[in-house]
Amino acid sequence: MGDKRSVPGAGLAKGLAVTFRTLTRRSHTQQYPDVQPKLPPRSRGVIALLEENCTVCMLCARECPDWCIYIDSHKETVEVPGAARPRQRNVLDRFAIDFSLCMYCGICVEVCPFDALYWSPEFEYAEYDIRDLLHEKDRLREWVSTVPAPPAHDPNGEPAKEVVAAQRKANGGAARVQITRPARVRPPRSSQTAAPRSAGAGSQTASPGASAENSPDQDTPPASTTD
Amino acid sequence: MPGMASGETHRHLTVSTADLDTADMVLNIGPQHPSTHGVLRLRLVVDGERVVSADPVVGYMHRGAEKLFEVRDYRQIIMLANRHDWLSAFSNELGVVLAVERLMGLEVPERAVWLRTLLAELNRVLNHLMFLGSYPLEIGAITPMFYAFREREALQAVFEEVSGGRMHYMFNRIGGLKEEVPAGWTRRVRQAIGEVRRRMPDLDNLIRHNDIFLARTVGVGVLPAEVAAAYGVSGPVARASGLDMDLRRDEPYLAYGELDVPVVTRTEGDCHARFSCMLDQIYVSLDLAEQCLDRLEKLRGPVNVRLPKVVRVPEGHTYAWTENPLGVNGYYLVSRGDKTPWRLKLRTASYANVQALATLLPGCLVPDLIAILGSMFFVVGDIDK
Repeated sequence: MGDKRSVPGAGLAKGLAVTFRTLTRRSHTQQYPDVQPKLPPRSRGVIALLEENCTVCMLCARECPDWCIYIDSHKETVEVPGAARPRQRNVLDRFAIDFSLCMYCGICVEVCPFDALYWSPEFEYAEYDIRDLLHEKDRLREWVSTVPAPPAHDPNGEPAKEVVAAQRKANGGAARVQITRPARVRPPRSSQTAAPRSAGAGSQTASPGASAENSPDQDTPPASTTD
Repeated sequence: MPGMASGETHRHLTVSTADLDTADMVLNIGPQHPSTHGVLRLRLVVDGERVVSADPVVGYMHRGAEKLFEVRDYRQIIMLANRHDWLSAFSNELGVVLAVERLMGLEVPERAVWLRTLLAELNRVLNHLMFLGSYPLEIGAITPMFYAFREREALQAVFEEVSGGRMHYMFNRIGGLKEEVPAGWTRRVRQAIGEVRRRMPDLDNLIRHNDIFLARTVGVGVLPAEVAAAYGVSGPVARASGLDMDLRRDEPYLAYGELDVPVVTRTEGDCHARFSCMLDQIYVSLDLAEQCLDRLEKLRGPVNVRLPKVVRVPEGHTYAWTENPLGVNGYYLVSRGDKTPWRLKLRTASYANVQALATLLPGCLVPDLIAILGSMFFVVGDIDK
């Protein structure tokens, strides 16, 4: 196939033909600052923080692979009328993400059990100094308004677990829909405490949202790593 | 030379062989050289224009990935692993999750398996397009880059829609994928594949048989099959030398066992064979991706399995290798039952491929060196890890 040199310059002519054909077509260039790109809702542009939902559980900061989330908080005592004793509440003092360290993996958004973190496709936050990429909670809050609604799932696949949960709530929480195929896990070897709970994962109780049902919005986040 | 003492009168006219002898010169290409796209350093000993010996010095971009794997949990490892070869992020993630799933004895839902296969093939096309654009650029043809990037854009759009990332997809999870694909996504993938397929002849016609390109690449940097095998060279570089090996066919993982994977090979082993091997692989990958899409239309069900919050891998060890766009990529996972691996050894395609340069380069001319270097298709992050 490399022996197409029968006619000298044939390859060049072929290439030039492509060039001339392209010359007659519309350009593919997008004039960026004038024309904004259309980004899909899942785009990982920046992380937005909905402060009200944050309970200072620190899961995001712990799970972050390079620890670029800084959280400070203090405890506050709240007197609840009618309650026997005052309750303790976490108050968020500082929530900052250092976007010069962030690797945009989205693990923090994924592990957040209270939907305080969201991805936004917003990307225009470049700075002249790398230190200015450390954004505090006020700035992270501003990005919440740019968070798009998540796209609907492919009808062939499963609906999002939020959708399933909402439907169950609408049905009175009685009908437990079994849609997950049970994970088949090999029984653990010898003295393994580490193995995944094989029996539980396969049974009916493991349907999505089931754990959320057992412990509605309490301290224990829904046991799921595969959202 | 003995004839040196000839006539003191015509000293300035005397031409002895000793005067013509050139001294060897040590020349450093890199670590910062545009043709190494990264920080690969080559210590060359050159005799005039001819390379006497070449010594690839690697490690300028060593990031300690393997050591970091030992102190990160499995989800975090996916994020780290997709970065060593930044042009085949999806395939890199795949190797990690395949190893973990095998050790855990997890069965991945069928829909996830086919989606992974689809995305792995699209990732291969993206990777190859990058090299098909940048290789001609390195030897002086700037235009193919624009065509290659136009096609890349079409595919990156579908990748971004499904995973949110354009390069580091972070879409694999242990037991499947992060989430279901958006509604209408498969239709848009089909469109994108159609577009790329329709426009691929542009790139093909533009450069493959271009006379100048042929003059720079045909017969240059011939890598014999035995040498390729001896160095552990794999991927399109090895197949261009006639080494007929492709894990997708020879040791099928994912859904490749149910697909007919045609393996593109050449026998010449020169730069042009490597280039056209890669170019033809794009067509193969687009075909495979379309077959995956056909299959996906009929598949229903989840794309991941529910796992406990903390994933611990039972004690044991396994080696999972995949056919990455650049060659064989393997992960040797040793687990002691913790939530982090005890050891995760990384075998990367580029590292092995670049070793062959030590035998490939001696004897070639300096201008050919760039042509050969570019045609070995490596990513420096993949060499240095």
